[in-house]
Amino acid sequence: MTLLGPDRTGRPVVRVAAVGDIHLGEDCAGLLRPAFETLPGCADLLLLAGDLTRHGTAAEARVVAAEVASIGVPVVAVLGNHDHHADEPEEVVRVLRDAGVRVLEGESTVLPVAGHKVGVAGVKGFCGGFVGRSAGEFGEPEMKAFVRTARRSADRLAGALAELEAHGCAVRIALTHFSPVPDTLAGEPPEIYPFLGSYLLAEAIDAQGADLAVHGHAHLGTEHGMTAGGVRVRNVAQPVIDHAFALYRLPLDGRSAHPSEASAPAPVPARYGLG
Amino acid sequence: MTDRPEPYEEEYRIALLRERLARGGQAELGVRVERRGGGVLLTGTVPNATRREEILDLARDTLPGLTVRTEVALAGRDAPDHGEELP
Repeated sequence: MTLLGPDRTGRPVVRVAAVGDIHLGEDCAGLLRPAFETLPGCADLLLLAGDLTRHGTAAEARVVAAEVASIGVPVVAVLGNHDHHADEPEEVVRVLRDAGVRVLEGESTVLPVAGHKVGVAGVKGFCGGFVGRSAGEFGEPEMKAFVRTARRSADRLAGALAELEAHGCAVRIALTHFSPVPDTLAGEPPEIYPFLGSYLLAEAIDAQGADLAVHGHAHLGTEHGMTAGGVRVRNVAQPVIDHAFALYRLPLDGRSAHPSEASAPAPVPARYGLG
Repeated sequence: MTDRPEPYEEEYRIALLRERLARGGQAELGVRVERRGGGVLLTGTVPNATRREEILDLARDTLPGLTVRTEVALAGRDAPDHGEELP
Protein backbone atom coordinates (compact mmCIF):
# COMPACT_ATOMS: atom_id res chain seq x y z
CA MET A 1 0.00 0.00 0.00
CA THR A 2 2.89 2.33 0.78
CA LEU A 3 3.52 3.75 -2.67
CA LEU A 4 -0.09 4.47 -3.40
CA GLY A 5 -0.25 6.96 -0.57
CA PRO A 6 1.66 10.25 -0.36
CA ASP A 7 5.40 10.13 0.18
CA ARG A 8 5.90 10.49 3.94
CA THR A 9 9.37 12.01 3.64
CA GLY A 10 8.03 15.02 1.77
CA ARG A 11 10.85 14.73 -0.78
CA PRO A 12 10.06 15.20 -4.46
CA VAL A 13 9.72 11.80 -6.08
CA VAL A 14 8.96 10.23 -9.45
CA ARG A 15 6.58 7.28 -9.51
CA VAL A 16 7.45 4.94 -12.35
CA ALA A 17 5.00 2.31 -13.61
CA ALA A 18 6.49 -0.36 -15.87
CA VAL A 19 5.48 -3.58 -17.62
CA GLY A 20 6.82 -5.66 -20.50
CA ASP A 21 5.82 -8.78 -22.40
CA ILE A 22 2.10 -8.11 -22.48
CA HIS A 23 1.97 -10.00 -25.82
CA LEU A 24 -1.40 -8.65 -26.88
CA GLY A 25 -3.08 -10.40 -29.81
CA GLU A 26 -6.07 -9.15 -31.73
CA ASP A 27 -8.34 -10.98 -29.27
CA CYS A 28 -6.92 -9.11 -26.26
CA ALA A 29 -8.58 -5.69 -26.64
CA GLY A 30 -9.42 -4.10 -23.31
CA LEU A 31 -7.48 -6.65 -21.24
CA LEU A 32 -5.22 -4.14 -19.47
CA ARG A 33 -7.15 -0.92 -19.98
CA PRO A 34 -9.02 -1.07 -16.63
CA ALA A 35 -5.71 -1.32 -14.72
CA PHE A 36 -4.01 1.31 -16.89
CA GLU A 37 -6.87 3.72 -16.15
CA THR A 38 -5.72 3.81 -12.51
CA LEU A 39 -2.29 5.16 -13.57
CA PRO A 40 -2.96 8.90 -13.15
CA GLY A 41 -3.62 8.22 -9.45
CA CYS A 42 -0.45 6.27 -8.77
CA ALA A 43 2.24 7.00 -11.40
CA ASP A 44 3.93 9.84 -13.27
CA LEU A 45 4.79 7.75 -16.33
CA LEU A 46 4.36 4.27 -17.81
CA LEU A 47 7.26 2.34 -19.32
CA LEU A 48 6.57 -0.49 -21.78
CA ALA A 49 9.56 -2.87 -21.99
CA GLY A 50 8.85 -4.52 -25.36
CA ASP A 51 6.99 -7.61 -26.62
CA LEU A 52 3.84 -5.57 -26.60
CA THR A 53 2.32 -7.61 -29.44
CA ARG A 54 2.12 -11.30 -30.18
CA HIS A 55 3.56 -11.30 -33.71
CA GLY A 56 4.44 -7.67 -34.42
CA THR A 57 1.59 -6.87 -36.82
CA ALA A 58 0.05 -3.43 -37.26
CA ALA A 59 -3.36 -4.87 -36.24
CA GLU A 60 -1.93 -6.07 -32.92
CA ALA A 61 -0.16 -2.74 -32.43
CA ARG A 62 -3.57 -1.04 -32.74
CA VAL A 63 -4.79 -3.19 -29.82
CA VAL A 64 -1.78 -2.06 -27.75
CA ALA A 65 -2.32 1.57 -28.80
CA ALA A 66 -5.96 1.44 -27.65
CA GLU A 67 -4.90 0.07 -24.24
CA VAL A 68 -2.70 3.10 -23.53
CA ALA A 69 -4.20 5.92 -25.64
CA SER A 70 -5.06 9.06 -23.61
CA ILE A 71 -4.34 7.17 -20.40
CA GLY A 72 -3.42 10.35 -18.54
CA VAL A 73 0.33 9.75 -18.04
CA PRO A 74 3.16 9.81 -20.60
CA VAL A 75 3.89 6.37 -22.09
CA VAL A 76 7.45 5.46 -23.16
CA ALA A 77 8.15 2.19 -24.97
CA VAL A 78 10.77 0.05 -26.64
CA LEU A 79 9.93 -2.81 -28.98
CA GLY A 80 10.79 -6.44 -28.28
CA ASN A 81 11.65 -9.39 -30.50
CA HIS A 82 7.97 -10.35 -30.89
CA ASP A 83 7.26 -6.85 -32.19
CA HIS A 84 9.72 -7.58 -35.02
CA HIS A 85 8.35 -11.01 -35.99
CA ALA A 86 6.08 -9.82 -38.83
CA ASP A 87 8.97 -7.79 -40.31
CA GLU A 88 7.07 -4.54 -40.01
CA PRO A 89 8.47 -2.92 -36.85
CA GLU A 90 8.24 0.53 -38.49
CA GLU A 91 4.45 0.01 -38.83
CA VAL A 92 4.21 -1.03 -35.17
CA VAL A 93 6.17 2.10 -34.20
CA ARG A 94 3.96 4.32 -36.38
CA VAL A 95 0.72 2.98 -34.85
CA LEU A 96 2.06 3.42 -31.30
CA ARG A 97 3.38 6.92 -32.01
CA ASP A 98 0.02 7.93 -33.52
CA ALA A 99 -1.48 7.02 -30.13
CA GLY A 100 1.00 9.29 -28.38
CA VAL A 101 3.46 6.62 -27.21
CA ARG A 102 7.13 7.70 -27.24
CA VAL A 103 8.83 4.72 -28.88
CA LEU A 104 12.60 4.73 -28.36
CA GLU A 105 15.26 2.85 -30.31
CA GLY A 106 18.61 4.27 -29.38
CA GLU A 107 16.89 7.50 -28.42
CA SER A 108 16.06 9.37 -25.25
CA THR A 109 13.13 11.38 -23.97
CA VAL A 110 12.90 13.82 -21.08
CA LEU A 111 9.73 14.30 -19.04
CA PRO A 112 9.03 17.08 -16.52
CA VAL A 113 8.00 15.71 -13.10
CA ALA A 114 7.46 18.00 -10.08
CA GLY A 115 9.81 20.62 -11.50
CA HIS A 116 12.56 18.11 -12.24
CA LYS A 117 13.64 16.28 -15.38
CA VAL A 118 13.12 12.53 -15.63
CA GLY A 119 14.96 10.97 -18.57
CA VAL A 120 14.43 7.63 -20.27
CA ALA A 121 16.98 6.13 -22.67
CA GLY A 122 15.59 3.20 -24.64
CA VAL A 123 16.76 0.47 -26.94
CA LYS A 124 15.46 -3.04 -27.67
CA GLY A 125 18.85 -4.60 -27.02
CA PHE A 126 19.83 -8.06 -28.20
CA CYS A 127 21.20 -11.47 -27.18
CA GLY A 128 24.81 -12.56 -26.82
CA GLY A 129 25.19 -13.65 -23.22
CA PHE A 130 26.99 -12.55 -20.10
CA VAL A 131 30.61 -12.19 -19.05
CA GLY A 132 32.50 -15.45 -19.41
CA ARG A 133 29.64 -17.11 -21.28
CA SER A 134 29.11 -14.88 -24.28
CA ALA A 135 29.39 -15.05 -28.04
CA GLY A 136 32.47 -13.50 -29.67
CA GLU A 137 32.79 -11.49 -32.86
CA PHE A 138 34.76 -14.14 -34.70
CA GLY A 139 34.41 -16.63 -37.53
CA GLU A 140 31.51 -16.82 -39.93
CA PRO A 141 29.80 -13.64 -41.14
CA GLU A 142 26.53 -14.77 -39.48
CA MET A 143 28.27 -15.03 -36.11
CA LYS A 144 29.96 -11.66 -36.50
CA ALA A 145 26.65 -10.07 -37.52
CA PHE A 146 24.97 -11.58 -34.43
CA VAL A 147 27.53 -10.14 -32.04
CA ARG A 148 27.72 -6.81 -33.87
CA THR A 149 23.95 -6.43 -33.53
CA ALA A 150 24.30 -6.63 -29.75
CA ARG A 151 27.28 -4.26 -29.76
CA ARG A 152 25.55 -1.64 -31.91
CA SER A 153 22.51 -1.83 -29.69
CA ALA A 154 24.59 -1.25 -26.55
CA ASP A 155 26.38 1.66 -28.25
CA ARG A 156 23.04 3.27 -29.07
CA LEU A 157 21.96 2.87 -25.44
CA ALA A 158 25.19 4.52 -24.29
CA GLY A 159 24.54 7.40 -26.69
CA ALA A 160 20.98 7.86 -25.43
CA LEU A 161 22.09 7.77 -21.77
CA ALA A 162 24.74 10.39 -22.55
CA GLU A 163 21.93 12.65 -23.84
CA LEU A 164 20.13 12.33 -20.48
CA GLU A 165 23.27 13.36 -18.65
CA ALA A 166 23.63 16.33 -21.02
CA HIS A 167 20.06 17.39 -20.16
CA GLY A 168 20.86 17.30 -16.43
CA CYS A 169 18.15 14.79 -15.63
CA ALA A 170 17.42 14.22 -11.94
CA VAL A 171 16.55 10.59 -12.64
CA ARG A 172 17.91 8.55 -15.57
CA ILE A 173 16.21 5.30 -16.56
CA ALA A 174 17.57 2.75 -19.05
CA LEU A 175 14.70 0.92 -20.77
CA THR A 176 15.43 -2.26 -22.75
CA HIS A 177 13.63 -5.44 -23.75
CA PHE A 178 16.60 -7.80 -23.43
CA SER A 179 18.28 -8.11 -20.05
CA PRO A 180 21.53 -6.32 -19.16
CA VAL A 181 22.29 -8.74 -16.29
CA PRO A 182 21.92 -12.46 -15.52
CA ASP A 183 20.53 -11.76 -12.01
CA THR A 184 16.98 -11.19 -13.25
CA LEU A 185 17.06 -14.38 -15.34
CA ALA A 186 17.13 -16.68 -12.30
CA GLY A 187 14.43 -19.26 -12.95
CA GLU A 188 15.18 -19.53 -16.67
CA PRO A 189 17.20 -22.55 -17.86
CA PRO A 190 20.87 -21.40 -17.64
CA GLU A 191 21.50 -22.83 -21.11
CA ILE A 192 19.33 -20.13 -22.71
CA TYR A 193 20.79 -17.13 -20.85
CA PRO A 194 22.79 -16.15 -23.97
CA PHE A 195 19.46 -15.65 -25.79
CA LEU A 196 17.97 -13.54 -23.03
CA GLY A 197 20.36 -10.62 -22.88
CA SER A 198 23.83 -9.19 -23.17
CA TYR A 199 26.38 -7.86 -20.70
CA LEU A 200 27.16 -5.17 -23.29
CA LEU A 201 23.95 -3.40 -22.23
CA ALA A 202 25.07 -3.38 -18.58
CA GLU A 203 28.51 -2.14 -19.63
CA ALA A 204 26.87 0.78 -21.42
CA ILE A 205 24.62 1.51 -18.41
CA ASP A 206 27.56 1.46 -16.00
CA ALA A 207 29.76 3.58 -18.27
CA GLN A 208 27.16 6.33 -18.69
CA GLY A 209 25.37 6.04 -15.35
CA ALA A 210 21.68 5.46 -14.63
CA ASP A 211 19.42 5.33 -11.59
CA LEU A 212 17.32 2.38 -12.72
CA ALA A 213 17.40 -0.17 -15.56
CA VAL A 214 14.11 -1.77 -16.58
CA HIS A 215 13.75 -4.74 -18.95
CA GLY A 216 11.46 -7.63 -19.89
CA HIS A 217 11.87 -10.74 -22.08
CA ALA A 218 12.60 -13.30 -19.31
CA HIS A 219 9.15 -14.60 -18.36
CA LEU A 220 10.49 -17.16 -15.90
CA GLY A 221 13.07 -14.83 -14.36
CA THR A 222 12.93 -12.72 -11.21
CA GLU A 223 12.28 -9.04 -10.64
CA HIS A 224 15.43 -7.84 -8.88
CA GLY A 225 19.00 -7.50 -10.07
CA MET A 226 21.96 -5.12 -10.14
CA THR A 227 24.72 -4.29 -12.60
CA ALA A 228 28.39 -4.68 -11.69
CA GLY A 229 28.49 -0.89 -11.28
CA GLY A 230 25.60 -0.91 -8.78
CA VAL A 231 22.67 0.19 -10.97
CA ARG A 232 19.39 -1.42 -9.90
CA VAL A 233 17.80 -3.63 -12.53
CA ARG A 234 14.14 -4.67 -12.59
CA ASN A 235 12.62 -7.37 -14.81
CA VAL A 236 9.05 -6.20 -15.39
CA ALA A 237 7.90 -9.01 -17.72
CA GLN A 238 4.20 -9.34 -16.91
CA PRO A 239 4.49 -13.04 -15.94
CA VAL A 240 7.20 -12.05 -13.42
CA ILE A 241 5.42 -9.14 -11.77
CA ASP A 242 2.00 -10.88 -12.14
CA HIS A 243 0.21 -7.54 -12.39
CA ALA A 244 -0.70 -5.08 -15.11
CA PHE A 245 2.38 -3.05 -14.09
CA ALA A 246 4.98 -2.69 -11.35
CA LEU A 247 5.49 0.57 -9.44
CA TYR A 248 8.79 2.12 -8.35
CA ARG A 249 9.36 5.38 -6.50
CA LEU A 250 12.66 7.24 -6.86
CA PRO A 251 13.72 10.52 -5.21
CA LEU A 252 14.19 13.44 -7.58
CA ASP A 253 16.70 15.20 -5.33
CA GLY A 254 19.08 12.28 -4.95
CA ARG A 255 21.83 13.48 -7.26
CA SER A 256 23.25 16.85 -8.19
CA ALA A 257 21.79 17.27 -11.61
CA HIS A 258 23.67 19.82 -13.65
CA PRO A 259 23.52 19.89 -17.41
CA SER A 260 26.93 18.83 -18.70
CA GLU A 261 28.59 19.20 -22.05
CA ALA A 262 27.02 16.78 -24.51
CA SER A 263 29.73 14.36 -25.42
CA ALA A 264 29.58 11.14 -27.39
CA PRO A 265 30.35 8.09 -25.25
CA ALA A 266 33.89 6.79 -25.56
CA PRO A 267 34.39 3.55 -27.51
CA VAL A 268 34.72 0.57 -25.21
CA PRO A 269 38.51 -0.04 -25.51
CA ALA A 270 39.17 3.64 -24.76
CA ARG A 271 37.09 3.39 -21.58
CA TYR A 272 39.65 1.00 -20.21
CA GLY A 273 42.65 2.99 -21.46
CA LEU A 274 43.21 0.71 -24.45
CA GLY A 275 43.71 1.78 -28.03
CA MET B 1 -3.21 -49.56 -33.04
CA THR B 2 -2.04 -46.51 -31.12
CA ASP B 3 -0.25 -43.52 -32.63
CA ARG B 4 2.16 -43.34 -29.73
CA PRO B 5 5.59 -42.50 -31.15
CA GLU B 6 8.63 -44.71 -30.63
CA PRO B 7 10.35 -43.79 -27.33
CA TYR B 8 13.40 -42.32 -29.09
CA GLU B 9 11.10 -40.16 -31.19
CA GLU B 10 9.50 -38.54 -28.17
CA GLU B 11 12.32 -36.14 -27.45
CA TYR B 12 12.39 -34.94 -31.05
CA ARG B 13 8.64 -34.45 -30.97
CA ILE B 14 8.96 -32.43 -27.76
CA ALA B 15 11.61 -30.29 -29.47
CA LEU B 16 9.24 -29.96 -32.44
CA LEU B 17 6.49 -28.75 -30.12
CA ARG B 18 8.83 -26.07 -28.73
CA GLU B 19 9.65 -25.08 -32.30
CA ARG B 20 5.98 -24.94 -33.28
CA LEU B 21 5.13 -22.87 -30.19
CA ALA B 22 7.84 -20.41 -31.09
CA ARG B 23 7.26 -20.25 -34.83
CA GLY B 24 3.93 -21.70 -35.85
CA GLY B 25 1.80 -18.71 -35.02
CA GLN B 26 1.79 -19.33 -31.26
CA ALA B 27 4.89 -17.33 -30.50
CA GLU B 28 4.71 -18.32 -26.89
CA LEU B 29 8.36 -18.42 -26.04
CA GLY B 30 7.45 -18.20 -22.37
CA VAL B 31 5.77 -21.59 -22.33
CA ARG B 32 8.00 -24.32 -21.02
CA VAL B 33 7.74 -27.93 -22.18
CA GLU B 34 9.25 -30.63 -19.95
CA ARG B 35 9.13 -34.42 -19.84
CA ARG B 36 7.50 -35.44 -16.61
CA GLY B 37 7.00 -39.13 -15.83
CA GLY B 38 5.55 -40.80 -18.91
CA GLY B 39 4.18 -37.58 -20.35
CA VAL B 40 4.79 -33.92 -20.88
CA LEU B 41 4.15 -30.92 -18.63
CA LEU B 42 3.49 -27.45 -20.05
CA THR B 43 4.05 -24.49 -17.74
CA GLY B 44 4.25 -20.73 -18.24
CA THR B 45 2.00 -17.70 -18.48
CA VAL B 46 -0.26 -16.49 -21.30
CA PRO B 47 -2.49 -13.42 -21.63
CA ASN B 48 -5.88 -15.17 -22.02
CA ALA B 49 -7.70 -18.51 -21.86
CA THR B 50 -8.05 -18.80 -25.65
CA ARG B 51 -4.27 -18.76 -25.97
CA ARG B 52 -4.02 -21.51 -23.36
CA GLU B 53 -6.47 -23.72 -25.29
CA GLU B 54 -4.55 -23.19 -28.55
CA ILE B 55 -1.35 -24.30 -26.88
CA LEU B 56 -2.96 -27.41 -25.44
CA ASP B 57 -4.41 -28.32 -28.87
CA LEU B 58 -1.02 -27.88 -30.50
CA ALA B 59 0.62 -30.04 -27.84
CA ARG B 60 -1.91 -32.86 -28.26
CA ASP B 61 -1.52 -32.69 -32.04
CA THR B 62 2.29 -32.81 -31.87
CA LEU B 63 2.52 -35.45 -29.14
CA PRO B 64 -0.06 -38.13 -29.95
CA GLY B 65 -0.28 -40.92 -27.39
CA LEU B 66 1.56 -38.92 -24.72
CA THR B 67 -0.16 -37.61 -21.62
CA VAL B 68 -0.10 -33.82 -21.81
CA ARG B 69 -0.53 -31.99 -18.50
CA THR B 70 -0.76 -28.23 -18.39
CA GLU B 71 -0.31 -25.72 -15.67
CA VAL B 72 -0.27 -22.65 -17.87
CA ALA B 73 -1.31 -19.60 -15.85
CA LEU B 74 -3.00 -16.42 -16.97
CA ALA B 75 -0.93 -13.28 -16.46
CA GLY B 76 -2.15 -11.08 -13.60
CA ARG B 77 -3.88 -8.06 -15.09
CA ASP B 78 -4.81 -6.10 -11.97
CA ALA B 79 -3.15 -2.87 -10.92
CA PRO B 80 -0.67 -3.50 -8.08
CA ASP B 81 -1.65 -2.62 -4.52
CA HIS B 82 1.92 -1.80 -3.55
CA GLY B 83 5.18 -0.70 -5.07
CA GLU B 84 8.86 -0.49 -4.30
CA GLU B 85 10.73 2.42 -2.79
CA LEU B 86 14.11 2.95 -4.52
CA PRO B 87 15.91 5.48 -2.32
